[in-house]
Amino acid sequence: MDFIILVLNSFSLLLDPFNLTYVVLGFIIGTVFAAIPGLTATLAMALLLPLTYTLSVETALMACASIYMAGMCGGSITATTINIPGAPSSMMTALDGYPLQQQGKGALALGHAALGSMFGGAVGALLLIAVAPFVAELSLLVKTTGKFSLLAFALIVVVIAQRGRIPQAGLAACIGLMLATVGLDAMEPVTRFTFGNANLTAGIALMPVIIGTFAIAEVLTQAYSHTDISAATAAADKVKIRRRDFLPPLSDIRRIGFATYFKSCLIGYFVGTLPGAGGSMGSFLAYTETVRTSKEPETFGKGNPAGIVASESANNAVCGGAMVPMLTFGIPGDPITAIMLGVLVINGIQPGPQLMSDQAGLIAPMLAALLFSAVLLIPLTLWAIGPYFIKIVSIRRDVLYAVIALLAVVGSFVATYSTFQMFMALAMGVLAFYLRRNGFPVITMLLGYILGPNLEEFLRRSLALSNGDPTTFLTNPDSLFFVVLTLIFVYFLVIRKPAELKTATSDNQGG
Amino acid sequence: MLLNRQLLFLFAMLAVSVGYLVSALSLGAPVGESGLTPSFFPIMVGVAAIIFSSILILQKLRTKSDEDQDETPSSYTHIGVVVAVFVYILAFRPVGYFISSTVFVFALILLFSSFEKLLQKALISVAIVVIGYVMFQQLFGVRLPTPWE
Repeated sequence: MDFIILVLNSFSLLLDPFNLTYVVLGFIIGTVFAAIPGLTATLAMALLLPLTYTLSVETALMACASIYMAGMCGGSITATTINIPGAPSSMMTALDGYPLQQQGKGALALGHAALGSMFGGAVGALLLIAVAPFVAELSLLVKTTGKFSLLAFALIVVVIAQRGRIPQAGLAACIGLMLATVGLDAMEPVTRFTFGNANLTAGIALMPVIIGTFAIAEVLTQAYSHTDISAATAAADKVKIRRRDFLPPLSDIRRIGFATYFKSCLIGYFVGTLPGAGGSMGSFLAYTETVRTSKEPETFGKGNPAGIVASESANNAVCGGAMVPMLTFGIPGDPITAIMLGVLVINGIQPGPQLMSDQAGLIAPMLAALLFSAVLLIPLTLWAIGPYFIKIVSIRRDVLYAVIALLAVVGSFVATYSTFQMFMALAMGVLAFYLRRNGFPVITMLLGYILGPNLEEFLRRSLALSNGDPTTFLTNPDSLFFVVLTLIFVYFLVIRKPAELKTATSDNQGG
Repeated sequence: MLLNRQLLFLFAMLAVSVGYLVSALSLGAPVGESGLTPSFFPIMVGVAAIIFSSILILQKLRTKSDEDQDETPSSYTHIGVVVAVFVYILAFRPVGYFISSTVFVFALILLFSSFEKLLQKALISVAIVVIGYVMFQQLFGVRLPTPWE
């Protein structure tokens, strides 16, 4: 209850013009990046990360929260109007949004998307505010061996969630772990893998890893693929959107039903709590569930607003869910929460079970900003600049990528005033680019890098406490819980699902 | 070509994994009198990386004949971008923010477009660099290098 009051009090921080400016600017930047196909809110946050050095932690986290919320709903603009999802989380939105646009109801589709996002974001944030303190208290029960098993669980789930490319995900995670082991050992005064370079003694810093992985790698990917945007630009030029058409009629909302909104939010929220799942999986599961339980499933894919609502409610509810493991255990569920974790780390705050009790004053404003973004900024942004947003897909790509590259390279300098860190960002960018080109998921590399130090430390501490007895991971109840949970996930994601797919395929062939 | 690009990348990953494992082994025995040593975890990671690399190489060798057509990249612009960033970082401190950044932004705009309307692109580059300066130095108080410092 104390935490809820703290969050409510934090709304007063949003009355400060300085904080409000950053939250609103963050939201607009997040929306623009999410709306432009090829760019993501993750990239926006990676580029803005160096600037958080000059802000207070509260302001930086509030801006991050609004970028996150914007990133989940901004992709629906291009998904609906030109059938090109600006962000992967809006792929399902395009299925029903674009047919509505073709029927001349594009603005209405955007209105439904905004309402769904607003509802999903608000429910996700409220659940986070209500649940996180309890999860934080529970997390205090997890001791050293349990912490190792939990981190191992998170890493294994992220790897096996990459269906069809588990070996690639495993190798990427190993690369992340390798990067994490560079520098001074956490428990003994031994330097590892520095090869005599003093710059590496403190390890590879988070900033160049994030900027390289998300910003420089993105510029290289775009340079390699040279995406032709002329079709998108031509389609965007034809789109005409009027403000008065945004508001969905009450009859539509009744037909969709409160249950669809709420169920999609819950699906999105719980998917968000799983490491590596993210907005696209949340919206996919909510969409398929809505189709499955609908009385008129044949109308989906042809412009049923319930499809838009399911997808958008779920992907925005993911924001609240993904922050639960990040705030309570220090485990980021997706790249954006990984960068948020970075904001905490570069400000000297150790994420983990103690965070919610020791630093509640820093976390509460972020949750207030998340709720504020969902309830106020989503509808306001759509109303104020919605009719013009579609034009941003016509932005000159040469100028755009030059600006991104400049911000990325100068941003990596800003953090430490070190040329070495700039070279490190370039190296990480090249590595991430080649990993992406060859089908490796970079999120597993990032999680390996972030979780690596604690994973190693808790492994060594656990075995030291048990005199080298590895059965300690099975005899301690907290650890056993996560071991069993890992096995359950392995069963459902690796063993059972492929068997089902195989059966379905052979059935089809037989039929 | 005997090895395609993906296979080459996987062999490079295997080589890195082997190199990492060898370096990890050189840190000493994985288990000491007081428990696990700093080499234990890297050895585990190195072994896992070698296993994953080997699986991927074997998978690739099995399916290689089917996918040999995807050999040529659509462009080499990305290599130009890497070179531009590298040179920019080298020049950033000695030459200063303004000159190095203007040349860098101009080079990137050219890499992403064509060698046309050079004056317009040069003016855009200058404008971007000035806006960048205002944002970093004036708005966020970041000290950017200049040749006279």
